[in-house]
Amino acid sequence: MENLAGNSSPPRSRWRKVAYGGMQPGYDDNHTDESFLEGMVMNASVVKRDMLKVMLDSVSISEYLCIVALVVLVWTYTLGSTLDENSLLFIDASLLVSESTVKAPGVMKNPALTSCISVNASVVASVFIASRLPSRLHVFAIMLFSLQVFLFAPLVTYCIKKYSFRLHLCFSISLMAMTLSFVYMLHRLLFVLLLSLLVFVNIVCPYWLIKIQEYKFEINGPWDEAKLCFDITD
Amino acid sequence: MTGGLKVYYVPWRPFIMQNTFPTIYGLLPIMRTILIRERITIVHGHQAFSTLCHEALMHARTMGYKVVFTDHSLYGFADAGSIHMNKVLQFTLADVSQAICVSHTSKENTVLRSGLPPQKVFVIPNAVDTSMFKPAVERPSRSEIVIVVISRLVYRKGTDLLVEVIPEVCRLNPNVRFIIGGDGPKRVRLEEMREKHSLQDRVEMLGAVPHAQVRPVLVSGHIFLNSSLTEAFCIAILEAASCGLLTVSTRVGGVPEVLPDDMIVLAEPDPSDMVHAVQKAISILPSIDPQVMHNRMKELYNWQDVAKRTEIVYDHALKCSNQSTLERLSRYLSCGPWAGKVFCFVMMVGFLLWQLLELWQPADDIEEVPDVSFSHNCDEEMLQKNQWNEEE
Repeated sequence: MENLAGNSSPPRSRWRKVAYGGMQPGYDDNHTDESFLEGMVMNASVVKRDMLKVMLDSVSISEYLCIVALVVLVWTYTLGSTLDENSLLFIDASLLVSESTVKAPGVMKNPALTSCISVNASVVASVFIASRLPSRLHVFAIMLFSLQVFLFAPLVTYCIKKYSFRLHLCFSISLMAMTLSFVYMLHRLLFVLLLSLLVFVNIVCPYWLIKIQEYKFEINGPWDEAKLCFDITD
Repeated sequence: MTGGLKVYYVPWRPFIMQNTFPTIYGLLPIMRTILIRERITIVHGHQAFSTLCHEALMHARTMGYKVVFTDHSLYGFADAGSIHMNKVLQFTLADVSQAICVSHTSKENTVLRSGLPPQKVFVIPNAVDTSMFKPAVERPSRSEIVIVVISRLVYRKGTDLLVEVIPEVCRLNPNVRFIIGGDGPKRVRLEEMREKHSLQDRVEMLGAVPHAQVRPVLVSGHIFLNSSLTEAFCIAILEAASCGLLTVSTRVGGVPEVLPDDMIVLAEPDPSDMVHAVQKAISILPSIDPQVMHNRMKELYNWQDVAKRTEIVYDHALKCSNQSTLERLSRYLSCGPWAGKVFCFVMMVGFLLWQLLELWQPADDIEEVPDVSFSHNCDEEMLQKNQWNEEE
């Protein structure tokens, strides 16, 4: 190539960031200058989160935790002595699974798989409880109650939140206070457990989220695959 | 055996799962035999997605050979798949002597993904065989403008953009016709578009086009349309330009570096901007002479130049100082708190296996191939089928 010979020409032409035209005279192929990585953008879409905002948002989660705890309380009072400890624990455990997914507030239009699972899990837990009950009336009562709570509680809380965020906050906080006092009356250890869970969800987790935001490292640049700006309708 | 090139086929089932444990070291014995038999000095691997490449480079480093790696692909940093791939790449490149990328964008991407110092990464673009891609002897008539698209019809090649762009371009220009070569899962969408807008007589779909048939398709058109969403280099554009076509392309990856501004019309990967770019290309078409374009391409790209530049990289690699195994291990260790230890372990096992092989079949016992009467030795071991033929 003729430009290999131009190595010694004194007026060095400016290096250009192009691939055509062979080796650029006066520059090696591994030439790196300040234009290297100039198209890189770091942390372009990272949202700065506010601690208070995250804590307020996490109230919704503890709201559902309290609803589940209240339902379990009702069951326990209904069952009284007819239930032995082991099955109670088992049901609690199965409920915990359901409870972790029971919250599906925003997805009224398009129910996701997880919300179906959560409803199913809560029904299964109710049926387990109902199997231990002495009479048909009890069974129907507890099933109706559980279904009402698990199906409609998300809807109700969603509507409250939409209506007024302040109302939602008041409702959630009173719900938490109520649940805690009821649980305190029932069992000390359960009270401590619930309290620590609520503290974890409302204070530790938001703090954690804010903390690990610092480690967020997002790189964008010309090498990224372009995103289509329209919907693909198949 | 043309020009001293030898191809070894590894008797190995096709890899489906990457990085299953047995295949990490499965290649070591046969690699070692080939490297010793052929008195290899440099091992050159291609393509970040090839397990064969990664394994070959790893073993070559274990045995103390100089290693060069060429990356042809761009990769993001967002999803789980790319995080995994980037770790594998980091592992392979942690100890590579020199690396080659096909464009400056590709170099930036590779440096970021692998943590190599940028001075070790050379940019050597692909080239095009201009003698194979000549413009038509007779210039196609201007009464009708033909736009050619040749690509796999998949998401990454932007077929969905074409679905939006083609009807609009046809609506604006009654004398435009499209020829689409290529096949893929998105072909159905193009066919649907053709039905919906009744463009059967204006959009011709050829299906898969074998490489030998690409030139006849290209020279029947005036404009080449590339709609890729990501592209490290894009040889298709070179082939089209070499055939004298004006290119319209999305401004993604390394595409803006490929051709001088007056030979290509770039657009954002957005339907309205692309329609705009096609309109612009149609308006400047009368000033384009295919033969002039072809002659310019001849000056801009040729494989001999690529070979020369690659040779310089090989010289650089050979000048790299030899390192002890311990030094190399420390380099792997710095790859990450967990990954570093895993890498080190993998390398140590590889090293032990190699020592075992040395005992079991000493290097002296392996017969070296006699020199065939070539004036030069072929330094490079070409194990993959899909790579260019670089002769020294």
